[in-house]
Amino acid sequence: MGSALGKERAMGRIANDFVINVATANGTGSQSSNLIILHSMFEMGVPVSGKNLFPSNISGLPTWFIIRASDRGYQAPGDNTNIQVVMNKDTWAKDIEDLEPGTIVIFNEDVKLPVDREDCVALGMPMTKLARGVAPKLARLMCNMYYVGALAHLLDIDEGAINKAVASQFKGKEKAIELNIQAISEGRSYAKENWDYECQYCVESREKDPDTYLIEGNEATALGAIYGGINMLSWYPITPSSSLAESVIGWLPDLRSDDQGGSTCAVIQAEDELAAAGMVIGAGWAGGRGMTCTSGPGISLMSEFIGLSYFAEVPGVIWDVNRVGPSTGLPTRTQQGDLTLLYEASHGDTQHIVLIPGTVDECFEFGWKAFDFAERYQTMVFGFSDLDLGMNRWKTAGLQYPDSPMDRGKVIRTQEEMDSISNYGRYRDVDGDGIPYRTLPGSGLDPILYRGTGHDEDGVYSEDPEVYHKAMARLRKKIDGSRTHLPSPVIREEDDKQVGVVFYGSMENTIVEIDDILEETGLSVSTCRVRALPLHPEVEEFIDRHEKTIVLEINRDGQMYGILRKEVPADLVPKIHSVAYSDGMPPRARVYAEKILEVLNEGGA
Amino acid sequence: MTVLKLNVLELEKSEYTGGKSSLCPGCGHDQISNVIIQSAWENGIPPEGIAKMSGIGCSSKTPAYFLGKSHGFNTVHGRMPSVTTGANMVNKGLSFIAVSGDGDTASIGIGQFVHAIRRNLDMVYIIENNGVYGLTKGQYSATVEKGSKKKKGAINRQAPIDLCAMAINLGCSFVARSFSGSKKQLTALVRAAMSHRGMAVIDVISPCVTFANNDESYRSYNYVKDNDEVLHILDYIPHFSPLEEVDVPEGEFAEISLFDGSTLRIETVGSDHDHTDAVSALSAIHQAEKGERHVTGLLYYDPEVPTATDTLNLSETPLVGLGEESLRPSEDSLKGVNDRFRS
Repeated sequence: MGSALGKERAMGRIANDFVINVATANGTGSQSSNLIILHSMFEMGVPVSGKNLFPSNISGLPTWFIIRASDRGYQAPGDNTNIQVVMNKDTWAKDIEDLEPGTIVIFNEDVKLPVDREDCVALGMPMTKLARGVAPKLARLMCNMYYVGALAHLLDIDEGAINKAVASQFKGKEKAIELNIQAISEGRSYAKENWDYECQYCVESREKDPDTYLIEGNEATALGAIYGGINMLSWYPITPSSSLAESVIGWLPDLRSDDQGGSTCAVIQAEDELAAAGMVIGAGWAGGRGMTCTSGPGISLMSEFIGLSYFAEVPGVIWDVNRVGPSTGLPTRTQQGDLTLLYEASHGDTQHIVLIPGTVDECFEFGWKAFDFAERYQTMVFGFSDLDLGMNRWKTAGLQYPDSPMDRGKVIRTQEEMDSISNYGRYRDVDGDGIPYRTLPGSGLDPILYRGTGHDEDGVYSEDPEVYHKAMARLRKKIDGSRTHLPSPVIREEDDKQVGVVFYGSMENTIVEIDDILEETGLSVSTCRVRALPLHPEVEEFIDRHEKTIVLEINRDGQMYGILRKEVPADLVPKIHSVAYSDGMPPRARVYAEKILEVLNEGGA
Repeated sequence: MTVLKLNVLELEKSEYTGGKSSLCPGCGHDQISNVIIQSAWENGIPPEGIAKMSGIGCSSKTPAYFLGKSHGFNTVHGRMPSVTTGANMVNKGLSFIAVSGDGDTASIGIGQFVHAIRRNLDMVYIIENNGVYGLTKGQYSATVEKGSKKKKGAINRQAPIDLCAMAINLGCSFVARSFSGSKKQLTALVRAAMSHRGMAVIDVISPCVTFANNDESYRSYNYVKDNDEVLHILDYIPHFSPLEEVDVPEGEFAEISLFDGSTLRIETVGSDHDHTDAVSALSAIHQAEKGERHVTGLLYYDPEVPTATDTLNLSETPLVGLGEESLRPSEDSLKGVNDRFRS
């Protein structure tokens, strides 16, 4: 046992405001233990969030799980760890070395490595030995349940809540439920009997809203697509988007089977991302709702097809669950690195609609809306998510049923409809909104040969300069017209328009904490969360109303900042400043808040 | 007064023609376009029920020159199969007729070609194979034979990719080779392919008159005419009264029943090829290659392979025909979904 085992009593207990970091090796079953801790706290009504920092590996490499309880609802990983669980010998020394003084260290004594930090509280338990007593062959997996028990003791986690979380984790596997509960209970008893230490941190039950749910962003997106009437999912496995496709596959039999048991959505695991994109375009061309999901490397491969979709005006949906680039990058870490890639994907002049959810509710909502926008604007629509939002579990009050019927866009389905349009041409703007009408294969109505080469308003091959110029101007007008129809920004505005922060996506889960840190310094801070590209006019108005605007994002170069600089009027450009930072980690509030303060101070704010 | 010929749908052949070709005069591809027009018309396929698909290249331009009443998609280089796959998934009621070239299929698009076969996509896949890249002015493609020489440049020293052998190895349900100059054989094969359900690959040797019609080219008109190893004589007999009577052959023949009820009659000549045996088909291809000849005819046929849409157990109604009531689950169902995430 560590030397610093304290007998001191904490002065006051700190309820529901602490960070636990669990260091384990990948493939040791620790994910189950971590989720049990998370869910048992959730069960007690404690506002809690979990983040899995995992390696690109199946088994053996280090992995960390961060659990943060926060009555203020903060969901970012905290700045400091309050309780560190060390199980992994490979990262042991560094995990311990990096801790702030006073941190509680729960460690597996059987690893036989020292905890040489006099300034920390070291609490050891022979976890492997104890686990062997319960399940000799499963000791490697089972020992993780002992730190659950240890934490349950230290933090006063309710036994009923733990048991419920175990039952839900091992649904229906009675033997597993029994063994794991036994292990947790032994861990709790061992801690109680052997550790003469009262922990200052604890969980306190809060009134639990019965309608609270935990869901991963990818699964919410998948369900959104299913409720959006997806007809075809093509996909190629890539972290961190695979779970999105697998969720669609998992839910289809329940939600999208017809009376005879036939599926109303085809799923194809494609040979590569190029093919996945081609299938989306084929489905859209034929009048169906096609979608694929991928990450940055997949978007790079799909780019040629994305240009075809833009130019030939074929609807489709691509979800990009961002990971860290460039190249293979850090495949299991998070970033907002693909924004400009999506916005202007493919060669030549293009511009695409990008939907940017910041919450799991929006993952669902934009999941179904993406198809409506794709068919309305006859173009590729992107969903922009990231590993942090997509692969972690987030709280929701329940996914909301679509509040509008499907918009199938301007499709002429009968001869009468065709006759009612004078001067029909596949690419002729008869309504003045830049959006032409289309007919579907199989209809026999004014068929054309779709092509990625230059074409006139009737779809006939053309290299005529005037025809090309006019076609490109119309495409621009068409996409521009979407600005006011796409999800508008979410603005939280102060009366005093001192500092505005423009941000987007998963930063939503850190922004409140950043805002609080900034306001502690006396600043008045308004925030504007962008939810779609091209930008809604309200974004520009927000910038105009504030003395200074910070554009906050999780990348190196300030991609949204670049877009804003290009798109806002020149007189507003001096008001906007970039704060962009990315290290692969989910955003920690203090890191970004300090960078914002630096930039404001540079400018003499 | 001339009486115009009508097909079983009472449509004139002009309902199946397309725009004026912009290919070089004498190009084999134009002959293939004519065969496609003739076949679709004689088979009585409603033009609106056909989807014309292509990639990029001389061959892939040709959908503009046939079936003007059908929707089509001239996609991107080598990626026609994936676009066809997506379209087939949502509308399996369409008849997909695709043309591609040897560059499009054997090089940039070889992966998609392979996987479309592996899925047994329900389509006719015609490769207009001339051994050169025409639009970029005559570079060798990956199908050109070792020892062959185009009009300008050195003799090709690399081994060719034989797309038929590849298709057979992948379990393709219908594999044939023909020559753009053999109108009767090609028409019978294209008509049979249109009556087949599943992937029908027809590799058509189609001389490039501009870059490779010299006698040293193994794909010139003269060379192919002199070195065509014809496996059998083929007659297509539709399931309805045909426009023209088909004579019963005097020698031995076998018949294949196709998916739509039509028949392909196979009259044995010379060799004793067994189209149900992949090894026999591969052997015929290799023997021909050794002798620097081209083997043509129906190489392999297996009607039992399930198609991509069969395997996926899709709704009977093509998915594009389903309305919101089938595509959007009920509000009630979402409550059940939410419950699964209750913590």
